[in-house]
Amino acid sequence: MNLLDSRAGTRSLLLGNEAIVRGALEAGVGFISCYPGTPSSEVPDTFFRLSKHGDFYFEYSINEKVAMEVAGGASLGGVPTLVTMKHVGVNVAADPMVTLAHIGTPGGLVILCADDPGCHSSQNEQDSRYYVRLAGLPCFEPSTAQECKDMTREAFELSARWQQPVMLRTTTRVNHMRGPVVFGPLSPARTKGAFARDPQRFVSVPAVGRVRHRALLANLETIRGEVNRSDWNNVYGRGKAGVIASGVSRAYLGDVLKLHPELKVKVLELGLCYPFPDDLVNNFLEDLDRVLILEELEPIMENEVRRICQQKGLTIQVRGKGKDLPLWDEYSTSMISTALHHLLDLDAPVETVCSVDQSNLPGRPPNLCAGCPHRSVYVQVRKIFGDNAVYSSDIGCYTLGMLPPLNTADFLLCMGSSVSTGCGMSKAVEDPVVAFIGDSTFFHSGITGLINAVYNRHDLLLVILDNRTTAMTGHQPHPGVDQAVFEGKPGRIEIEPLVRASGVNEVRRIKALNQKALSRAIEELKKASGVRVLIAEDPCPLFARKVLGQKRTKKARVAVSDQAALECVHTLACPAFYLEGEEVHINPVHCAGCMVCVQLCPSLKPETTGS
Amino acid sequence: MKPIRIFFAGVGGQGTLTATRLLAETALDSGIEVTAGEIHGMAQRGGVVHSFVLLGGYLSPKISMGEADILLGFEPVESLRALPYLRPGGRILASDAPIPTLSVSMGRETYPSMEKIREGIGKCTEKFFFIPCMELARKTGIVQTANTVLLGAFFAGGYLPLSLEDFLKSIEKRLAPRLVESNLQAARLGAEFMASA
Repeated sequence: MNLLDSRAGTRSLLLGNEAIVRGALEAGVGFISCYPGTPSSEVPDTFFRLSKHGDFYFEYSINEKVAMEVAGGASLGGVPTLVTMKHVGVNVAADPMVTLAHIGTPGGLVILCADDPGCHSSQNEQDSRYYVRLAGLPCFEPSTAQECKDMTREAFELSARWQQPVMLRTTTRVNHMRGPVVFGPLSPARTKGAFARDPQRFVSVPAVGRVRHRALLANLETIRGEVNRSDWNNVYGRGKAGVIASGVSRAYLGDVLKLHPELKVKVLELGLCYPFPDDLVNNFLEDLDRVLILEELEPIMENEVRRICQQKGLTIQVRGKGKDLPLWDEYSTSMISTALHHLLDLDAPVETVCSVDQSNLPGRPPNLCAGCPHRSVYVQVRKIFGDNAVYSSDIGCYTLGMLPPLNTADFLLCMGSSVSTGCGMSKAVEDPVVAFIGDSTFFHSGITGLINAVYNRHDLLLVILDNRTTAMTGHQPHPGVDQAVFEGKPGRIEIEPLVRASGVNEVRRIKALNQKALSRAIEELKKASGVRVLIAEDPCPLFARKVLGQKRTKKARVAVSDQAALECVHTLACPAFYLEGEEVHINPVHCAGCMVCVQLCPSLKPETTGS
Repeated sequence: MKPIRIFFAGVGGQGTLTATRLLAETALDSGIEVTAGEIHGMAQRGGVVHSFVLLGGYLSPKISMGEADILLGFEPVESLRALPYLRPGGRILASDAPIPTLSVSMGRETYPSMEKIREGIGKCTEKFFFIPCMELARKTGIVQTANTVLLGAFFAGGYLPLSLEDFLKSIEKRLAPRLVESNLQAARLGAEFMASA
């Protein structure tokens, strides 16, 4: 599968996110910025992989706000632009996004927002279709891999023609589905445009903003007319009972109707969902006596339909959120089957789920890898502070420190919050506050919190867990990573000078896997007051192996299986350990050779590996 | 063809997603309509991995409780845990090689015996096979081919309108050249086991 294949007609099995990439390439995308985050990450990662062979400009930006702003600039300069992020990233980027919709984006700007119903890998569950309404963004919602490609390409064309940013709103299941995609022709990347200077439009001072808001609303009304006639919105089936569906619910609905041909309903599928196609929906509702709305999370279309019914004096039953269809989590075929049966006053099929008592099955939560430097830091911090500190955590692999026996995460809000929320906590409680943040997250939005902490004289020990990559989302680079690693331009931004320039005087920088150095540094910083920063450096072992090509030279072995060794197992919870009865073993395949256990326990010894 | 939903249950880092993709691509190569689904992110770092292949014209990218026709279990306890996804009378092919959870390794929880696992699965379906995937994979010299052993058994079982040959061709076409020989052997070993079972 070659996403840069210039020919049309190839049929490949693509991930939804890869299909989005192909769609953008077919549209001639010239500029892509992003901040990675599951479930959006494969879009930028694929562009990054292709960037050596493609003509487009690509960057991993420092955070979503910056990604949105650089994308906005490129689009103002007349270049077709894509910016990608997960739903919570849109919160970060909301400020520039709303104003971009006011002033418009002449080159075309497509915003990929990947929602995560079910919180598969997110700190909250939110419905970004509210942003579509808040900012005024025409919005596509694909339900298949093919649509991911086709809608992306179309979104570019419409965005450029309307000069308005367009949102491509996906959900985890769509981003991470694989389906056949037929390629269309590839367009050359349009990397250069022209900026048509117009301060009365693009400089959004209040006098301009006021006018532009009205221009936006007028634009959206014109666009609504097109949405009413759009081929992305389809009607099929017949009956007095109707169903309106968008996004992945359309896929579930399609499968349920195939499985239950006895369910006679008239269906309106919305692919281009905003501005809401009032006329189309009104016509659809005319012959119905009831309608069911299928949408995950918020009752957004449902409320639009209720509004239309009220405005048009329609008295049909509108059903949506309720007992069958919750406001949380994902929908499924079985859920939709039940709701459809109830819509038609039928008994829902009784589900027979074959099950056994699962209460005694051992749990398998994700955990820090063998050799992870975060574990080393957490063990030493706990040794010194124990339960007499409050631990402020952040977004990354290191959030897994919340699990026993490490217990080093007491609260968490969002990217970068460890620093600032930790500051607030330190004013409120007597115990010291220790905050943990990763390197990528520090660059994302930890720096502002740190400067605030210094300026406002907070009392906080901040531990920067610098593993030299964005580990959680798949080892993307960030400003602290030398791009030469990826055959890019050499150069990286050091964290320590940034911390010092922020006004922090108490700074220690040590190797995260060195227990003695950790212990000394933490003890010293514990005694000091004010804002203190410990930078604990050691690469993510997966990154070191896969990307840097580093080979393991040592591994640990159990010299004596005694009480000390057993204690070490329970302190570290390293997945390379295992017990046979009370006897401690180290799996030589799993041991990453970090040697933290050897430093903690005399019964464990290092040995050099053959390879 | 009769539509089929195949549920994959495994452990992060085991290659479950690669196996999912290989099956999906093999089906597509043979002209079968396919949708597949997977969840990335927290599934890594040794957590549970669930993924799906839906053949024969489904649009949905996931399998809900009670919907899977076939459960491919890449680990015994994960096969047991995924049972609610199997439809009544569905079929299970599973590896018999346990991967202990961290809590089991640390002696805080116990891994159920294979008898208990068989008994649990037997309550839901009689149609299940445990396959010595690791033992057979060792014969190829590369233990990472255990997933291919399971898929080889699956293709040889005749549950799909696809043959072992289709799978072998797909391995040759889709895997890196250095991995082809061992994976072909693994697939054949799985198929032989199935034939003799």
